[in-house]
Amino acid sequence: MAVIRPEEKRRLFERLANIREIVFGVQDGVLTTAGVLAGLSGAVSGRSQVVLAALASTAAGALSMGAGAYLGTHAENSVIRSERERTRVESAQQMYVIQESLLGELAKEGLSREASYRVVKLLSNAPQALFATAEQKIYGLAEEGAGNPIRDGLLMGVAFLIGALVPLGPFMLFNSIRNGLIAGIAATAIVLFTVGYFIEGRLCELRRPWTAGARFLAIALSAAAIGYLIGLAIAPLGTPLG
Amino acid sequence: MLKPGDQAPAFDMPCSVDGAAGRVSLGGLRTEMVVVFFYPRDFSFICPTEVIGFHKHREDFAAAAASIVGISVDDVESHRRWAQELGGVSYPLAADAKGEVARLYGVFDDKEQVAMRATFILNRRRMISYAVASQINVGRSVSETLRVVKALRSGQPCPADWQPGDATGPAGLKY
Repeated sequence: MAVIRPEEKRRLFERLANIREIVFGVQDGVLTTAGVLAGLSGAVSGRSQVVLAALASTAAGALSMGAGAYLGTHAENSVIRSERERTRVESAQQMYVIQESLLGELAKEGLSREASYRVVKLLSNAPQALFATAEQKIYGLAEEGAGNPIRDGLLMGVAFLIGALVPLGPFMLFNSIRNGLIAGIAATAIVLFTVGYFIEGRLCELRRPWTAGARFLAIALSAAAIGYLIGLAIAPLGTPLG
Repeated sequence: MLKPGDQAPAFDMPCSVDGAAGRVSLGGLRTEMVVVFFYPRDFSFICPTEVIGFHKHREDFAAAAASIVGISVDDVESHRRWAQELGGVSYPLAADAKGEVARLYGVFDDKEQVAMRATFILNRRRMISYAVASQINVGRSVSETLRVVKALRSGQPCPADWQPGDATGPAGLKY
């Protein structure tokens, strides 16, 4: 059995915490760009116009998603930090409530009541340690908020860009819009399946990882199909009045 | 929850007293008054202030002819270790392991499966003269319990915040 290296594990968990941004960014980049390509291919006759529009959409999408992730994480951190500070002030005034709650949480995890009491009593000698442990055990708060806004923003933006290249790259390899679109859609399906297969199926060591890939593909394509149908439904509203 | 005027249910339970295992029964207590206090659990951060408080005032209660009995759902060994942790407790901490006595007094919290934080003062006929209960996370006042014991023993109408030595109300006044 491999020796556990806690510091390495900690770094691994920190990296894994960003899977949400990566999956979200790639999936959105792939589907948005595939949608733009599919939509414009039917409406515009020039291939270069389609490519230019897709590139513009990709740039705007990456910036928007990156900024959104940055602002989201920043706001979450600010709110949690503020609430954490307020809770610490309240906790310091009513220490016994925190002690009693933490004792209950430890007892739930299998420690005897007496052992839980002794652990909490020891922690109470260093209130910072008591509060930090209580925040994790009672409120489920991580150490320092949700994440790093800059890292989350960059990851989301870059993931979107990479995702956007999936349908856009093959599309640009073909002179024919139709062939390019078929290649782009095929690449989209393959990549969506692969993301699900590896991230959920292989990393989580599922017995049948292909089901994770299929689920990922089905959910993503369903979202795209529903979006396409909504587009068809509202298309008549775009008819010029008059 | 039982109220003043009700007959206090008898009990006979294993207990820890002065670091040793023993038994305590209501019938075996010969003092004029008995203070029965229920508390949720040993090894908690609120209860010790009360358990220690009653221990610190034990001589005052004895001088007021009142015995003290603490009751929780913990077993005798837990009581013994808890009393040791607190530096010793000279009155009985009774083990109401199934909460039967707490149920008889109407102070068993079914959700938490522990006794509520409740205090009863029993008179010489072992009828309830005073009953109070509070939310599980709020400790009670030991000095207030002692004040009420003394007021009850005076046998006179006692105004609000009455203290021993203060004037009592007119004899024969009922309300």
